[in-house]
Amino acid sequence: MNLLEYSLIFMVISFIPCLYRVIKGPTIPDRVVALDAMTTVIVVMLGIYSFVKESVFFMDVALVLAVISFVGTVTIAKYLDEGVVF
Amino acid sequence: MVLELLSNAVLIIGLFFVFLAMLGLARLPDVYNRLHTTTKIGTLGAFSVMLSILLKVGFSPMGVKAITVALFILITSPVAAHMISRAAHRHGVGLCKESVIDEYGKACESACSINERE
Amino acid sequence: MKRYIAYSAILGLVWCFVHGTVNVNNFILGVLIAPFIIRPFKTLFPFDQDFSFANAIKKIPAQIKFLYVLIVEIIKANIMVAKIVLQPKIDIKPGIIAVPIDSKTDLGITAIANTITLTPGTLTIDVSDDRSILYVHAIDATDPEGVAQSIKDDLEKYTMEAFE
Repeated sequence: MNLLEYSLIFMVISFIPCLYRVIKGPTIPDRVVALDAMTTVIVVMLGIYSFVKESVFFMDVALVLAVISFVGTVTIAKYLDEGVVF
Repeated sequence: MVLELLSNAVLIIGLFFVFLAMLGLARLPDVYNRLHTTTKIGTLGAFSVMLSILLKVGFSPMGVKAITVALFILITSPVAAHMISRAAHRHGVGLCKESVIDEYGKACESACSINERE
Repeated sequence: MKRYIAYSAILGLVWCFVHGTVNVNNFILGVLIAPFIIRPFKTLFPFDQDFSFANAIKKIPAQIKFLYVLIVEIIKANIMVAKIVLQPKIDIKPGIIAVPIDSKTDLGITAIANTITLTPGTLTIDVSDDRSILYVHAIDATDPEGVAQSIKDDLEKYTMEAFE
């Protein structure tokens, strides 16, 4: 066990408040914010995992996940705001 | 050696900040305050972790992609926060009970009443 | 036409970064692909305004100074919000306040809004219809004039220099 593997465990611990907020969150925007934060945690985990496994492809996954998270958040926000997406 | 120590220090700071962001998400009272923690602390945490990976591997493809992810998160997270907070306010999510002032709500109400009169 | 060249150069650099290896071949490939990306999204860019390379290069020192100010402000913001999260009992007085701004262009308003979101205790919510007022959620809103004044003095001066 080195520092990076401990850090993966630490990230899994920081997942728990997000799940709590996704399940309990009183309103829809709360849940969207929690899902967005969850994506940040997963991107960080993928970055560390990419370094642990010495494979560059996990970093591509992280980049695509960051893009999808941004587009998804903006889409849900626009749907809540105006009732239509486009 | 110095570089490795520095990258480990940046990694620990980044992980701690990400953890604090998620803790704030669970503790603070309403949507707008939660957005404060996830946009500011979460962004800097992710940026620090990616910077430490860049310091560990140098300018290889992995390091360059890591810094690309970090810059992308830094640019897009304020935009997402702005969109979701505006949608929440128009969707009718009120501020928490500790709030002292709401000039945006007043501006929206006056605009609506002008529209109704016309 | 000048705008096509400038944006193509930027997108070529982005292509290099996404590909992972920064060299001349990748940069040229990115520049060749870029016009096909810019053409469909032409309405998003201000193509009807004049553009000169001299002005764009003249702004670079101001932008580097702005970047330095931004990094200092981000670190201050993180320490402040981290203190609030780690308090045993959360004691905050949030609120939404109106902040008048002087920026007129789209790029200037975007820059000031994103900067406000990343700096201590404030979060942009909306811009008014006549684009002269930003609505800002502050985590400590007991002094609205103070917050507006600090945004004007500390941040808007640098974004006006860098992006207008």
